[in-house]
Amino acid sequence: MNRAWYMRCLGSTLWPSFLAAAVASVVFFASIDPQTLQMQTVPDWNISRMAGYTIGFFMFWGVGLLSSSLTYLLSGGNSSRNA
Amino acid sequence: MRNQEKEVTADAGMYVAREKIHPREVKGPFQTLRNIAVIVLLGIYYGLAWVQWEGRQAVLFDLPARQFHIFGLTFWPQDFLYLALLLIIAALSLFFFTALAGRLWCGYACPQTVWTEAFIWMERLTEGNRQQRLKLDKSPCNSTKLLRRGSKHVLWVLFALYTGFTFVGYFTPIRELSVNVATFSLGGWETFWLLFYGFATWGNAGFLREQVCIYMCPYARFQSAMFDPNSLIISYDEKRGEPRGGRGRNVDHKAKGLGDCIDCNLCVQACPTGIDIRDGLQYECIACAACIDACNGVMDKMDYPRGLIRYTTENAMEGKPSRILRPRILIYGLLLLALTVGVLYSLTLRTPLAMEVMADRNVLYRDVDFETIENVYTVRILNKDSQAHEYVLTVDGLPGARVITRPERIHVRAGSTDTVIARVQVPRGAATGPGHPIELQLTSQSDPAIQSTNAARFHGPDE
Ligand code: SF4
Ligand code: SF4
Repeated sequence: MNRAWYMRCLGSTLWPSFLAAAVASVVFFASIDPQTLQMQTVPDWNISRMAGYTIGFFMFWGVGLLSSSLTYLLSGGNSSRNA
Repeated sequence: MRNQEKEVTADAGMYVAREKIHPREVKGPFQTLRNIAVIVLLGIYYGLAWVQWEGRQAVLFDLPARQFHIFGLTFWPQDFLYLALLLIIAALSLFFFTALAGRLWCGYACPQTVWTEAFIWMERLTEGNRQQRLKLDKSPCNSTKLLRRGSKHVLWVLFALYTGFTFVGYFTPIRELSVNVATFSLGGWETFWLLFYGFATWGNAGFLREQVCIYMCPYARFQSAMFDPNSLIISYDEKRGEPRGGRGRNVDHKAKGLGDCIDCNLCVQACPTGIDIRDGLQYECIACAACIDACNGVMDKMDYPRGLIRYTTENAMEGKPSRILRPRILIYGLLLLALTVGVLYSLTLRTPLAMEVMADRNVLYRDVDFETIENVYTVRILNKDSQAHEYVLTVDGLPGARVITRPERIHVRAGSTDTVIARVQVPRGAATGPGHPIELQLTSQSDPAIQSTNAARFHGPDE
């Protein structure tokens, strides 16, 4: 596990999922107000819109990261074959 | 498959061997152009946040209020279409300019390049020029090294933090934000995003640099699909340069069978991505033209003509004519033009008013008295204008119809929404049976041009 593997792994998982999360957040929150969402699901939980956006963004990022990591793993980005 | 894997292997191997690249400082017209681009773009980024317009921040993406302000215009979530169109226009322009002039974006305008350049300036300021930096890298830890390194990092961190601060300032009014920062009363989310963006800037521009372009950027990977033999690229003139080799200044190299390249390696040292342009077009090349400036400097010293490395096209290199006007360019260009004009046109036509009409679902109709039938609607009014308005609702579509709202003149503040109950009354007999189309029209009293019309259905009794 050298630095190259590390960089390559981060570069091809963290970053694409970040971009995808950014796009997804914009599209999602343009049509859905986090406040409405909160009122309809967890009305007792008092959070601001900003918090809603942030949580949403990191949720998208998390999902994207999972998908990217699996793709990375399955397409043989793993260092055992390449390093 | 085999092949691909080999490629990846070679690539990763190259990566291991990577040392920190210290691009050599060059002087020349392209470097000047790049400096201007950096100053202008960073100036816009850091300056625009402070510009005021009609009493509020000119460019503010007010996420808490779900409104975007861009100078005199206010956008709502309902205007999402504009955002989508804007993104399409941006993508199309990227295609257009890439097909026309290659990676202009990468070399001059990409935030990655621009911030890296700014960070390199700070590096130069504290650690000196390329030679000095290389020496410093190798030198043992002593007080000078600590001092130089330390001041570089202080500069970087401060700059990155200010960048993060400005970023948040586009979402929370920056003047309030600066007060909050000064009084240490910054909110949790603002602090988080400030640090997050600052950290990303610091990491990308200070450490990752060309690796972002090589390993992370999607554009760098698919841009080859936008290239054609007529696209402008930066290229080394192999025919003229080879065979390369060192020689004295006054030697007649042609007689010795040498080409124009004196193999000084300056173009390699100047390259921010650390490649050798003489090996041909490579996807790592961000077309920054630093090697052109470096090489032209050498050519001048040797009294050779400039342009051993130059902007050219694949066709030109092969001695074929290059065409600027070609179907790809025309199509991209026309699409771009049509979309831009369309968006601008629809922006000027945009009424700063919208409404939604919802029929009362519980009762279809009500008998007001022997002569009159009534339907009830909920009307949501969205005043997108930058000033308050009083609106009056009218109805059309059935003879003798009228609409009652309370109050009659509906006052809606600038940039906010309001809901009223509208009762539409129609003489019995004018509307028998369900589903008569009617139109509700909302008109501003101060500016009759501002109006919005919505269709609705009116239900009457069956006989
Ligand atoms: S390769 Fe990507 S990150 Fe690098 S300069 Fe070009 S667009 Fe920017
Ligand atoms: S090869 Fe030349 S144009 Fe390309 S990145 Fe390096 S210095 Fe810039």
